[in-house]
Amino acid sequence: MKFFKTRIFLTIILFLAISLPALMAQGNRDYMRETGKINVSVGVILLIFLGIVGYLVRLERKLTKLEHQINDDKNEWTN
Amino acid sequence: MWWKILSVVLLLYVFTAGLLVPLKPGITYVTPAAVKTGQTVELQLHGYNSFYTQSPVSDIRVWLEYDSSNAIAGRNIRVLSDTTLAVTFELPASLPRNTPSVMLNAIIDHPADGVSLLPDAVEMNRDTTAPATAPATATAPATAPAPAPATAPATAPASWTQTPISQLHIKSDFTFPYRNVIYESIRNTYFHVPMWFVLMALFIASVINSVRYLKNPQPEYDRRAAAYAETGLLFGGLGLITGMLWAHFAWGAAWSNDIKQLMTAVALLIYLAYFILRRSFDEPEKGARLAAVYNVFAFSSLIPLLYIVPRMFASLHPGATGSPTFGSQDLDNTMRMVFYPSIIGFCLLGFWIASLRIRYQRVVDKAMGLD
Repeated sequence: MKFFKTRIFLTIILFLAISLPALMAQGNRDYMRETGKINVSVGVILLIFLGIVGYLVRLERKLTKLEHQINDDKNEWTN
Repeated sequence: MWWKILSVVLLLYVFTAGLLVPLKPGITYVTPAAVKTGQTVELQLHGYNSFYTQSPVSDIRVWLEYDSSNAIAGRNIRVLSDTTLAVTFELPASLPRNTPSVMLNAIIDHPADGVSLLPDAVEMNRDTTAPATAPATATAPATAPAPAPATAPATAPASWTQTPISQLHIKSDFTFPYRNVIYESIRNTYFHVPMWFVLMALFIASVINSVRYLKNPQPEYDRRAAAYAETGLLFGGLGLITGMLWAHFAWGAAWSNDIKQLMTAVALLIYLAYFILRRSFDEPEKGARLAAVYNVFAFSSLIPLLYIVPRMFASLHPGATGSPTFGSQDLDNTMRMVFYPSIIGFCLLGFWIASLRIRYQRVVDKAMGLD
């Protein structure tokens, strides 16, 4: 179960990172090109945050796997 | 532990100050954007973050400037709003240069806002329909210096001011510089640029541990070298992606095969190969040894790829012709007060994440009986 949750989370992060410029330009307002272009900075911070969180999620997944391995808990062994 | 707290405190400061400190006032555009010689025209100057109403109109001064010795002072300044000025210019009948048109900079000097400048704000075209005497006076000073000054005031409605701009107000509060095209995204300096400092710091730590491994093959050194390289690659990837997002809105395209982008991608791919090499051996010791050697080569290719080659070609990236990543114009003292803490904060965060990776790998290796 946990494995699927993290997988879904990673997919969402990846999707957001790739489609951010397109998402921000939807509809009549082009958020990125509005006077000031502040949303370019917002996007950059968001990407950095998501990248670091994504890496930590991946590390946590590995850790969980290791914990199960060490505890030899076959019932929790999902991956 | 203290450095982890320091990293969080510094980054909190960077996120708050980096996002909340306002930009200096600037001029976004001028309408109409094209004028003709000899006209008397009212231009509207549109400001950004400006407070034109906060000073008496008599203290506001506006110029259209060609160079340091050719400018036109504006008259009848009207403040329409905090961000709009209407200014009348009596344009000279001649151009300062013998070309069909020149580009003029707009300059506003305001007691409260300080001085703001928009380069190439207005195009001034030679009026070819005007009487032939007007263009003639433009070239007259060069060919016949003596009679020209006498006839020029009679035919031309206005002339170029020779000592135009002085006693400007310098605004000295805590604001970031205003730059055209990038505007507020100048704040990316505190988020995109430190990624590369973290990458450099972690790759240096990685290569040091690789050299230590070659001298003394302890598994701990190999673990550290790999973890630092992996975390460095993470920040390199983030630097590249954030750079692409910024480029999309500042250069017009996310990927324009700019020399800086290409060389960075090559450098990241070289480091990606480091992990493939490490894992492609059945004996971990052999893989670690070869990877350590490869890491030394990868690091020595990093310096030319990131800092030497991009200098030798034209680039859209700032500082392409001078220092490799920055021009001297790109940072002012206010920005430094956020930029340097940001570098330290992100570097500490990078080492924090790498230390988690090292501790994880240590447990794995112990469990597998490799250490």
